[in-house]
Amino acid sequence: MAGIFEDTADLDELAEALRSADAGERRVAILALADSGLPDAVPLLASAARDPDSGIRLQAAIALGSFDGAEAADALTKALTDADPAVTRAAAESLAELKDPRNADVILPFVAHPSAFVKEAALRALKELRRPEALKPALDAMRDPNAAVRIQAVGVIGFLKLEESVPALRSAASDSDATVRRAAINALAFSQAPSSSEAIARALDDAEWPVRESAAEALGRSRSGVSAKDALIARLDDEFWQVRLKAIRSLAALKVRAAAIAIAHGLTHPEPNMRKEAAAALGELKASEALAHLERAADDIDADVRKNVRWALSQLG
Amino acid sequence: MPLANTPTSVPVVVDNEKCIADKGCTVCVDVCPLDVLRISDLTNKAYMAYDECWYCLPCQCDCPTAALTVNIPFLLK
Amino acid sequence: MSLDKIVDGLTEVDCDVLVIGGGTAGPMAALKAKMKNPNAKVILLEKANVKRSGAISMGMDGLNNAVIPGHATPEQYTREITIANDGIVNQKAVLKYAEQCYSIIQELDKYGIRFQKNENGDFDVKKVHHLGTYVLPMPNGDTVKKALYRQLRRVQLLISNRYIATRLLQGKDGRVAGAIAVNTRTAEFLIVKAKAVILCMGAAGRLGLPASGYLFGTYENAANSGDGYAMAYHAGAKLANLECFQINPLIKDYNGPACAYVAGPFGAYTVNNEDARFIECDYWSGQMMLEFYNELQSGKGPVYLKLNHLHENTISEIESILHKVERPSRGQFHANRGTDYRGNKIEMHVSEIGFCSGHSASGVFVDEFARTTVPGLYAAGDMASVPHSYMLGAFTNGSIAGQHASDFAKDVDFAAYDPEDIARERERVLAPTRREDGIPPNQIEYKTRRFVNDYLQPPKVPQKYRLAQSRFAEVREDMETGMIARNAHELLRALEASSILDCADMAACSSLFRTESRWGLYHLRTDYPGRDDENWFCHTLLGKTDGRMICEKRAVDPYVVPIDDDEKDIYYRQRIEARA
Repeated sequence: MAGIFEDTADLDELAEALRSADAGERRVAILALADSGLPDAVPLLASAARDPDSGIRLQAAIALGSFDGAEAADALTKALTDADPAVTRAAAESLAELKDPRNADVILPFVAHPSAFVKEAALRALKELRRPEALKPALDAMRDPNAAVRIQAVGVIGFLKLEESVPALRSAASDSDATVRRAAINALAFSQAPSSSEAIARALDDAEWPVRESAAEALGRSRSGVSAKDALIARLDDEFWQVRLKAIRSLAALKVRAAAIAIAHGLTHPEPNMRKEAAAALGELKASEALAHLERAADDIDADVRKNVRWALSQLG
Repeated sequence: MPLANTPTSVPVVVDNEKCIADKGCTVCVDVCPLDVLRISDLTNKAYMAYDECWYCLPCQCDCPTAALTVNIPFLLK
Repeated sequence: MSLDKIVDGLTEVDCDVLVIGGGTAGPMAALKAKMKNPNAKVILLEKANVKRSGAISMGMDGLNNAVIPGHATPEQYTREITIANDGIVNQKAVLKYAEQCYSIIQELDKYGIRFQKNENGDFDVKKVHHLGTYVLPMPNGDTVKKALYRQLRRVQLLISNRYIATRLLQGKDGRVAGAIAVNTRTAEFLIVKAKAVILCMGAAGRLGLPASGYLFGTYENAANSGDGYAMAYHAGAKLANLECFQINPLIKDYNGPACAYVAGPFGAYTVNNEDARFIECDYWSGQMMLEFYNELQSGKGPVYLKLNHLHENTISEIESILHKVERPSRGQFHANRGTDYRGNKIEMHVSEIGFCSGHSASGVFVDEFARTTVPGLYAAGDMASVPHSYMLGAFTNGSIAGQHASDFAKDVDFAAYDPEDIARERERVLAPTRREDGIPPNQIEYKTRRFVNDYLQPPKVPQKYRLAQSRFAEVREDMETGMIARNAHELLRALEASSILDCADMAACSSLFRTESRWGLYHLRTDYPGRDDENWFCHTLLGKTDGRMICEKRAVDPYVVPIDDDEKDIYYRQRIEARA
């Protein structure tokens, strides 16, 4: 039957090949170890991650992402401080692939590492593992001078969805870095506290349009978003249509009927996405006061706009 | 009727300096969905043996030494 | 020629469950069959290599049909699919998919397949359709196959790569007994006796010929040559609604998907030469393709994917997905032509025809347990008849098939087949290798597919269809008496050419049978331009009876999710507008 089925790897043979003087042969052995799927391949790959040749270490760091568990996580966290940046990047990628929540025990100490890169990679890997123990180190990392670290810290906190983290997310909503602000605003959407939607609503006046866009969108998902309806209506005049569009969607999701006429003005906007979204929102709001606006839009040049206008008219009753 | 070969420019180009097929690597040959790559008996390096490419790129992406490039063939370019 | 030299050889193995096809549905079916009964012997057979095979060989950039609580309900999804398919669906199978797909998403998430999540870790589902919300992006979907392969290795599943299955084995009672396969590099035979067989062999995507004339420049992975459709047919399984072709919008010349589902949530869309959207139909369907086709033919063509109204940040984000995940050579294609999304629109076209339930509805008829009409034989993925199922349908229905087949195999013994069947199949397969001179497989294939384009591409004209049937018969005669394969690789192509020809014949036969028009462009007959619910509100089943290709009607099972007349009306009113 030899040759019919994919072989089960011979680990002794591959361990031998890893000791070859030829880097190419060592690399081929790593590829076979990655494919083997055998847990016993992990220690061999961990030692290959300390190979003198940086190409071999890179291959090992990639291969370790195919395994899960503390031993692979341990080898990868060590590779985060490799001398070669390509190896550290691969290690960070592989670390983020791991899914076993128990890996958190290995990764947690690295959140306090002096290197910003290591901190960032550790936080990124912790996010999907959703372990409550990660909250405290992530809150500490929110004070890191490096924005990339703060973004990942917000990620960890946001995934945990704990009300106790809300004050920290609220202050991150006014972070000096726009990407951190966006992440924090999106992360706050889970919170039921009115202070959370207030923090999001403040971001509707942010200097950066992507932050305003995120805020407009997040209010639609936020449990207490309706309290910010006036601020959302004010955003229907934003200079960026992307922001207006999200404001329209959120106002419809929050059932803010009072916004109907302001939304109806969107039916004549030059950007078809705006006109389409305005029509859909008026339908969702069953806004009969916008009947005349909708009827005027029925012959729009854009089929998607026409379709949504027709649907909206059918909803007015 | 006898058969003839028609010349055609093939999309897959291998850098023999980087290719480690001679060390036992068969990654590109393994991953090709259309099975068009082979290791040459002469050079012990990978090459495109059959002009039947879908330019899907696993060979290029999975090559451990970045030795392989897939170009969009002329007829589609 | 010493390359891929033909070797004489035959090995026999047996197993409880044989899964043929290692793309999307197959690995999941094999995994689930094994998990359901860890003592079962499960073999996964693949024509290429499971690591990178099938429609998602490179990756997939999103789920088009995720039914996730809070965003859509199984009943709502079933209603929409029913309406998009003009009512001709086996609702039980659609509903079962819709009910189970969320647990499959969660499972895939655990495997390490990465779906887009918001900052609270919830799936970031996007609204693309008018009614339901089903699109879940996978901006890092380039790791799908890797994650799947990892699971297969973890349970040390028996994987057999580079074998093309050619025919199924059956007992006297018709029950499936296994399959015959040939190694694609040596032409050695492998006989796999099995208690249950699951076919997951993908679309018939190498049927129509792309306009470039390049045989392998297809929309689908060109390895998907319809082998599963052909094999099921020869085993006597019924195939449903084959006349409901697959035709997709694509990037002209590149022939790959334009991925409007990816770019759509970012605000990109398809426009005509007046920069206006023109598609009235909401759901991906034959009606949508008809509108697309009409626009291309009209004075408002060509048709483009438009992104240049989007902000620079947004365009960069779209590029990072479209040029990396599903078909990464796309970036190179655009670069060659100097196409930049910031300034240029992307010219689109419609694809060549094929069979693919993943995008339309044509496939081997299956019930809600993925059972075909042949006992012990299952089918899942793009080749099974559950409509519009895309990648997530392949995973979910593969899972359903694997579990059911595993249970089935527990209670039965091997069916006894006639050894003569193997001898006969060996002769058939090896015939092209025994000729000194003849027609190479690529020419047989080219001619078949050229006729597919010339005569079968909709709108369907019956006179052209009958002409196609005569031409196909002539090609078949040449194939059976004159095709030559000089090595094992050419033999692989010869076997594929035979599958392609079988599919071409099936496409013609089923299209002539249904004397009405339905499913928009997919089945648009010039002699019967209207829909005829009175006579044709039914499936068509194509099968092999006494060696002949025969079509019959099969009633649509009573709906489990009722459709209100109003709902249907809203949809059809849209269509009337579309034609105005």
